Amino acid sequence: MVFIMLDRIRNFCIIAHIDHGKSTLADRLLEHTRTIEKRDMRAQVLDTMDLERERGITIKAQAIRMEYNSYILNLIDTPGHVDFSYEVSRSLAACEGALLLVDATQGIEAQTLANYNLALHSNLTIIPVINKIDLPGAEVEMARNELINTLGFKADEILLASAKEGRGIAEIIEAVIARVPPPQGDPQAPLQALIFDSHYDSYRGVIVYLRIVNGTLNKGDKIRLMGTGKEFEALEIGTLKLELIPRDSLSAGEVGYLIGNIKNIADAHVGDTVTRTRAPAPAPLHGYQPIKPMVFCGFYPINGEDYELLKESIEKLQLNDAALFYEPETSAALGFGYRCGFLGLLHLEITQQRLTREFNIGLIATTPNVVYKVNLTNKKTLLIDNPTKLPDLSEIESIEEPYLKVSIFTPAEYVGAVMTLATDKRGTYINLEYLDPKRAMITYELPLAEVIIEFHDLLKSVTRGYASMDYEQIGYRPSDLVKLDILINSEPVDALSFIVHRDRAYYYGKKMTERLVEEIPQHQFSVPVQAAIGGKIIARETIKARRKDVLAKCYGGDITRKRKLLEKQKEGKKKMKLIGRVEIPQEAFLAVLRINQ
Amino acid sequence: MTALYIHIPFCQRKCNYCDFVSYAGKEVTIDAYVAKLAAEIPNTEFSTIFFGGGTPTLLEPRHFEQILKNVAATFRSPSGHGGLKTAATLEITAEANPGTANQKKLRELRQLGLNRLSIGVQSFNDQHLQTLGRIHDAATAKRFYADARSAGFDNINLDLIFALPGQTLAEWKADLQQAIELNPEHLSVYNLQIEEGTPFWERYASSLPVTRYSLPTEDEELAMYETAIETLTANGYHHYEISNFARPGRVCLHNINYWRNGNYLGVGAGAHSHINGQRWSNPNCIEEYLQHSTRMPPNDSRVATDQRETLFLGLRLLDGLEQDKFTGFETEVSELMKEGLLEAAGNYYRLTRKGLYLGNQVFARFV
Repeated sequence: MVFIMLDRIRNFCIIAHIDHGKSTLADRLLEHTRTIEKRDMRAQVLDTMDLERERGITIKAQAIRMEYNSYILNLIDTPGHVDFSYEVSRSLAACEGALLLVDATQGIEAQTLANYNLALHSNLTIIPVINKIDLPGAEVEMARNELINTLGFKADEILLASAKEGRGIAEIIEAVIARVPPPQGDPQAPLQALIFDSHYDSYRGVIVYLRIVNGTLNKGDKIRLMGTGKEFEALEIGTLKLELIPRDSLSAGEVGYLIGNIKNIADAHVGDTVTRTRAPAPAPLHGYQPIKPMVFCGFYPINGEDYELLKESIEKLQLNDAALFYEPETSAALGFGYRCGFLGLLHLEITQQRLTREFNIGLIATTPNVVYKVNLTNKKTLLIDNPTKLPDLSEIESIEEPYLKVSIFTPAEYVGAVMTLATDKRGTYINLEYLDPKRAMITYELPLAEVIIEFHDLLKSVTRGYASMDYEQIGYRPSDLVKLDILINSEPVDALSFIVHRDRAYYYGKKMTERLVEEIPQHQFSVPVQAAIGGKIIARETIKARRKDVLAKCYGGDITRKRKLLEKQKEGKKKMKLIGRVEIPQEAFLAVLRINQ
Repeated sequence: MTALYIHIPFCQRKCNYCDFVSYAGKEVTIDAYVAKLAAEIPNTEFSTIFFGGGTPTLLEPRHFEQILKNVAATFRSPSGHGGLKTAATLEITAEANPGTANQKKLRELRQLGLNRLSIGVQSFNDQHLQTLGRIHDAATAKRFYADARSAGFDNINLDLIFALPGQTLAEWKADLQQAIELNPEHLSVYNLQIEEGTPFWERYASSLPVTRYSLPTEDEELAMYETAIETLTANGYHHYEISNFARPGRVCLHNINYWRNGNYLGVGAGAHSHINGQRWSNPNCIEEYLQHSTRMPPNDSRVATDQRETLFLGLRLLDGLEQDKFTGFETEVSELMKEGLLEAAGNYYRLTRKGLYLGNQVFARFV
């Protein structure tokens, strides 16, 4: 058997804050190593989903093998958003080195630091690169000083580049070869391969991306996934260029893919260890975590008949998104739908958009919420992922909610505004640190529930878009929480209920009712909108009855145009959900997310 | 039979609320335009004729003569004398704007066979007339009306608009009172609609509360509309369409044909036609219209009309529409009846009073 010389392999990734140029740099590396010819280049090859391109983020990791001066350079892409921090950590665990990319016009941002910490935690060799030095607003010295003062790099370690213009690319590749250590591992040992990504292909089934840590994987091997205990056969293995390149074996240090008879992506968890059924590894690689959704909401079809379509669509999405959790649920107001769990709010929004766009489903998403720990008077503890399931107040001893440690990077002049916002959102001040006279890092502990609702938008708005944030989970804390119910035309609408801190209940109740009055169209009768806690009304607004709505003029030349107007009016109605006698538009169900807009 | 609509897209000045096809400052093209119009009219029988605008009264009598000559065959007197003799029963209307014709000109028009005038008075309040961008004041409108009467017009409509920016209910009542005092045969009262592409749209449809503030609220609009209905019916006008009122026997036959979804041929720039289930329209631009050669457009540029249009147009008439026309819409009918928006009357379905105010919600159910 021929083993690739380990010292000719470099496994690395690029880590950066969003929009600091990660995808563009990846493109240049592929070009420079002639892995892909310039003429074949589609901008930003590694981002394949439309939504990723649109939002400028990379959701699913991929890997690509480059060959350069008899070295094998495996570039492993990482998701660029904090919702996917566990996936990021697994991608990092598959590498020995990381390029830390910093935008010369922005300097260090929240995710720069978060990713840096993750990379450090994985013992990676980190190569700092200041990108976008060609831009007129580039402040290379500022970025350099931040890298030196905040992250402790030495001045001579820092590379300069403009990925857009192709400057500094050769130096980056040389640095990867010179500084990133080759992988270690024993090709003769029992097989341990780390799954760092997987995706579902409708022709080939689940394609697993893995890094062989120890041992050798051969085509035809019977394999076992140590986390789930499931067994499969390695029908095809190989390395990754822009397409799959089949090979007979992959050995320690290498990065590649595996196609087995795996039908369900949930069977190939990111972070799981692949071993052989015969002579298995004694233990899995450490760091495996089962997926834990952080944010939940209900998805309901506007038209009841679309329920089956919604079910099939969610199933299809889940084929490629093991982190998407769902189960059927019923709402008194909305009928049959699904309770879905997500890694974070971005994950939720992307899923919602894909259902709407790719599957063309008229969808209502209910107010997102976190998982509450409810301690009952009978000493039992419930985990509640849906406000409507909250037991009667008399049975509740206390409620706990998940907290985050949130780091916010902001220009110094907005420190006051950020602190006001964080306090407003029930934050506890932890720390304030100046990176330089112009920029500060503020740390707060905040309830996750407050962060998922409009926090990021508000942060951007109070800092004119300059702040960035990152967070980590720090467990549950007790809080004085109550369920706020919304009544429309005197009927409680369960899908609009949410859990809120008692001190904020009046504020939210008032804002919610005001917001709903704007979102819900006038009817032929007046519609009261109320907020209540445990049956007690705390806020009320009224949607005035529509009394006059008629086209004054309609003659021979108007008919086609007026018909279109009427058709539009009718279409608008179709997009609304009828609850009792009241038609409620989709937007209303997310009113709580836009309370301050 | 088919009605004939003749569009005259010329105005001295464009009003601030108007989104019709009409242009100010293009009067030099009138001669060519009229020649084109005359050529576009086929030699066939028409049930009614309507000159709309724009401002038809900007045309000279000779223009009307030139156009009517071409349709003259359709209403030449039975004795076959020829010339421009009109059948007494044939309704020939022209829209007219105060200040664009004197008594002499009106007399000539009457002699050419025009027998109905629809005068754009809009308001008797000079301040509101100015806001609307009209070229005349109230006194001019009254004089024009008197001139039309002495010119021999015994079938006159006045157009009025309510819910004007800053208008009070008392001001609207005064407008109605002055209109009634003039004793026209017909009144059209329109709730102001702020149309896209007009100066009013720029001014009032913006979300700035300070500009929206001056428009009457929905409740005020409704009060004005109710007042109009009560006042006019109390004074002997029959309310026969959402915005139209007439003395007995003086309804506008030409317009009723639109609401009954009948056939009509529209000639001139931007004019719409509806014949045997198909709709089409001419180019809006005068220059383009002058170049436009085909009399009937090719099939693919026509749009099929259908029962839905018959229903939403027919329900604009207060008598409503024969029940058998609603075949296939039984669910909608029963829902609307339950909501109190529609009612049966004899073998007709018609809007209730509530349905009249919320007409769009009824119409939208049928499109």
